[in-house]
Amino acid sequence: MVNLLSRTIMMGTPLLFGATAEVIAERTGMMVTAIEGIFLLGAWAGFVGTYLSGSLITGFLAAILAGLVVAALYGWICVYLKQHQVVTGVAINILAVGLCAFLYRVIFGVPITPLTVSPLATIPIPVLSEIPFIGPIFFNQNVLTYIIYFLAPLSYFMLYKTSIGLTIRSAGENPEAVDVAGINVLTIRFLTVLLAGIMGGIAGAFYSIGFLGMFTTNIIGGRGWIAFAICFLGNWNPKGAVIGTLAFGFAEAIAIYMQSIGSNSFFPNELFIAIPYIMTIVLTVSRKSFNVPAKLGVPYIKENY
Amino acid sequence: MHAKLRDLLITNMLAIVLGIVASGLMLLFLDKNPISAYTVLITSVVRDGYTFADIFVKATPLMFTALAFAFTYKANLYNIGAQGQFYIGAVIAAAASLFLQNILPGWLALIITLFLVIAGSGLWGAFVGFVKARYNSNEFLVSMMSTYVALAIMNYLLRTFLMETKAEYPQTDALLASVWLPRMIPGTRLHIGFLLAVLTCIGVWILLYKTPLGYRIRAVGYNARAAQMAGINAKKLYILAFFISGALAGVAGFTEVNGVQHMLVQGFNPDIGAAGIGIAILANGNPIGIIFAAILFGALKVGGTIMGQMSGIPSSIIELMQGFVMVFVILAYFVRNWLENNREKRKLQKAVV
Repeated sequence: MVNLLSRTIMMGTPLLFGATAEVIAERTGMMVTAIEGIFLLGAWAGFVGTYLSGSLITGFLAAILAGLVVAALYGWICVYLKQHQVVTGVAINILAVGLCAFLYRVIFGVPITPLTVSPLATIPIPVLSEIPFIGPIFFNQNVLTYIIYFLAPLSYFMLYKTSIGLTIRSAGENPEAVDVAGINVLTIRFLTVLLAGIMGGIAGAFYSIGFLGMFTTNIIGGRGWIAFAICFLGNWNPKGAVIGTLAFGFAEAIAIYMQSIGSNSFFPNELFIAIPYIMTIVLTVSRKSFNVPAKLGVPYIKENY
Repeated sequence: MHAKLRDLLITNMLAIVLGIVASGLMLLFLDKNPISAYTVLITSVVRDGYTFADIFVKATPLMFTALAFAFTYKANLYNIGAQGQFYIGAVIAAAASLFLQNILPGWLALIITLFLVIAGSGLWGAFVGFVKARYNSNEFLVSMMSTYVALAIMNYLLRTFLMETKAEYPQTDALLASVWLPRMIPGTRLHIGFLLAVLTCIGVWILLYKTPLGYRIRAVGYNARAAQMAGINAKKLYILAFFISGALAGVAGFTEVNGVQHMLVQGFNPDIGAAGIGIAILANGNPIGIIFAAILFGALKVGGTIMGQMSGIPSSIIELMQGFVMVFVILAYFVRNWLENNREKRKLQKAVV
């Protein structure tokens, strides 16, 4: 049980990174539908950076850079050129798959055995990790997981208690008002997309160098979309994102656990693999009241020019 | 020629060329000469009838998945789940063919299989429309997630009930030749499914633009609330649109299984849904345009595969080309809008003077 819950927190880490970034961006009216591609290139760059330099820090920096590049492309097309967000996201996600498969081949050729790096180590926090039950669950994780403990409250505080947060939320509810106040709506939106790129890049790298230590082109397998879904289901609120992340982290932890004990004879593995996706559908269907940002997905065009 | 149509053709042509050039530049990383690579590519695509016909073989399922996206798009709905509906269609096609091939004559088995595929994958798609209509769920998310569920179902069935008799690989037994889609040109893989796809494109165009149902669908897409006021039942249309959309994507599975693979193999055509969206965008959602856009993507696929067989060019070049072309096509939308605005402005200025 302890093991399962500790896994939940670990598997939830990248999801919370992605979901929180998505919450902030969507509050300004920008659906970051390129999130799957951002995750994927983040995972790719993280692995390549780590493998070539031997340092995980370089890997994460490379992942951040990759996430930024994808987000900048997406932001440029959707914020400044005002093109369709869903369609652009789909295109960029395909490009991301092609790019990382192609460049992986360019750099490494066709390796006979899968290349691996040693992933991020867990750092037990002294004293705290000794607490029975809670200790091993929360305080025997890797450094990224410790970051998310601060991420959720910080982003909540930022969105609801600061003037930046107010501006961000207004950009998605009433962009004209933000514009009248002399703040550039497009800049705000672009910056939050870039932030989503940074956080999505880190989240993607978590899969490749955070715990697996290797890279394949299907390493993300829809996790970006799940972070996207968590943002919806969490009602565009960092608090909701935490709850959603815990639920999906738990589903993933169970899936991994069930596969490892080989319960295949009774329930097929595929059922457990599908659980997070089925859960998304069920939750999307069962949620009644959504607090959708009014201008979500709508490009901002000034009245007169 | 009409200015708008001219813009559409020129900007999209440019987008395609730029996309191909951009992916050609990527070949430089591999120390390959893109010009000679593309020359080999073009000459080998037209070198023999078999390869040339393969372009249309590849275009066949792409037309269906592109139609699947374009159809709901007209109702301002997003069906991102064509991939999953394709898998469901493929599973039903394989299962029904394997079952019916021994008890019915081939043509009858094929027709029944096609109907089962339409019903099954249509219902799978209609589920998305149903939860949208009934619970106001986000159809984008639900259709996206349903793909992963469909994949899990397919993998499960391929490991259990549908697994080949040898039980070696996750694939079905080969279908008997009696339930293969008939070949159109002997000596090639081009099957009658291509004709079916082209006819479906034309049929969908007629449905959308020449029938009351199509008018209602487009009205809902244009302004759902206004359509509702005018007495159009938007909710019913959501379900119907998603049923048709899912059925279209499912038929892609039918033509692939009965026309090309003649069995169901795990993990085949994993990018067919996404490519369909790209084609729909390239064709600006127009069913007739989809025919040509799908043939182009088919050519990219065949060409990319040939490049992949050439020394040291990975087949991921296909996704690269598709991705670049799609991004440039979206940029072309922007350019077209800009041209259009300029033209309007000039018109207004002329009027003032």
